[in-house]
Amino acid sequence: MTISITLKVNGATHQLSIDTRTTLLDALREHLGLTGAKKGCDHGQCGACTVLLDGRRVNSCLAFAVAHQDAEIVTIEGLADGERLHPLQRLFIEHDAFQCGYCTPGQICSAAGMLREVEAGWPSAVSADLNAEHITLSDDEIRERMSGNLCRCAAYANIVPAIAAAMQNRSPKEVTR
Amino acid sequence: MKPFRYERASDASTAVTMLAEAPGSMFLGGGTNLVDLMKLGVAQPQVLIDVSHLPSHRVELLADGGVRIGAAVRNSDLATDRTIRARYPMLAQALLAGASGQLRNMATTGGNLLQRTRCVYFQDISKPCNKREPGSGCPAREGYHRNLAILGASEACIATHPSDMAVAMVALDAVVHVLGPNGERTIPLIGFPSPSR
Repeated sequence: MTISITLKVNGATHQLSIDTRTTLLDALREHLGLTGAKKGCDHGQCGACTVLLDGRRVNSCLAFAVAHQDAEIVTIEGLADGERLHPLQRLFIEHDAFQCGYCTPGQICSAAGMLREVEAGWPSAVSADLNAEHITLSDDEIRERMSGNLCRCAAYANIVPAIAAAMQNRSPKEVTR
Repeated sequence: MKPFRYERASDASTAVTMLAEAPGSMFLGGGTNLVDLMKLGVAQPQVLIDVSHLPSHRVELLADGGVRIGAAVRNSDLATDRTIRARYPMLAQALLAGASGQLRNMATTGGNLLQRTRCVYFQDISKPCNKREPGSGCPAREGYHRNLAILGASEACIATHPSDMAVAMVALDAVVHVLGPNGERTIPLIGFPSPSR
């Protein structure tokens, strides 16, 4: 069933004529040519399709595009400021935090959303104190919070330090922009 | 995936009317379970009624010390709500123990309770399953069943409800407030007629 929809992606508004069955991931990739978000499992288990919906990280493969016309959607293509890379993009390169790179856009979008959650004081399953005002982002915290993003090259050993550096070395505002 | 019509409900009573009037219709919340089941062919709604925008996004502390949780409250918002963390840490911990950050940002409280079982035979339409097709059989009894029921199962089905959140809520004597064509009613969660049971 074809329907006319509007999507707001990386600051631009797009009119699309799509089948209601189109996931947000397929709308981005097949209709808007934004192939940064990847289709890994297509069942919400691998995180390769992660994008930000109103600043929150979600699996775009489990979202119908038609249901998210009100949201500000940001993909990996929207994180950089022109030629100036997002701090997480730069740190993933500096730390060699990928091998094949297929999971990387999802990892970086997920990390961007995750750092906002830390900034908001959200605890995780490994946080010692559920009611703490401030989260210390230990390596264990990063591993737990990034557990929705799988890397079959197993670049985790470098992904964790890249994200830790993003939190330590930069102002939160820059990292979470 | 089968074609479907997409509708958006403006308020709860309209949503109930739409569901009653449209054959083969289902409610769409966060979609983390339903969209997956539609891809697998297990769920084949003809109409999807989006209820994720209904005004039930609040966690309210009640005068008697209890809390009322809106059906559309996301799992991440419930787990990190200050009242829940301070007064019902079991519920916050159960939520944080489940799924991933991305899924918790999408999944709703109502959808979490109404999600279907993860039994692999239920999710595979090429296999018999008494829950999908009553009388077709249950390969799980002799097959892959390490996450399925030991206690409380029936001869026909040994599926379990997959929610960690629901376990904590049952332990806390949660009550579900339901709106149907005949008005409102309350059901203790332990007896809630979930489609997973």
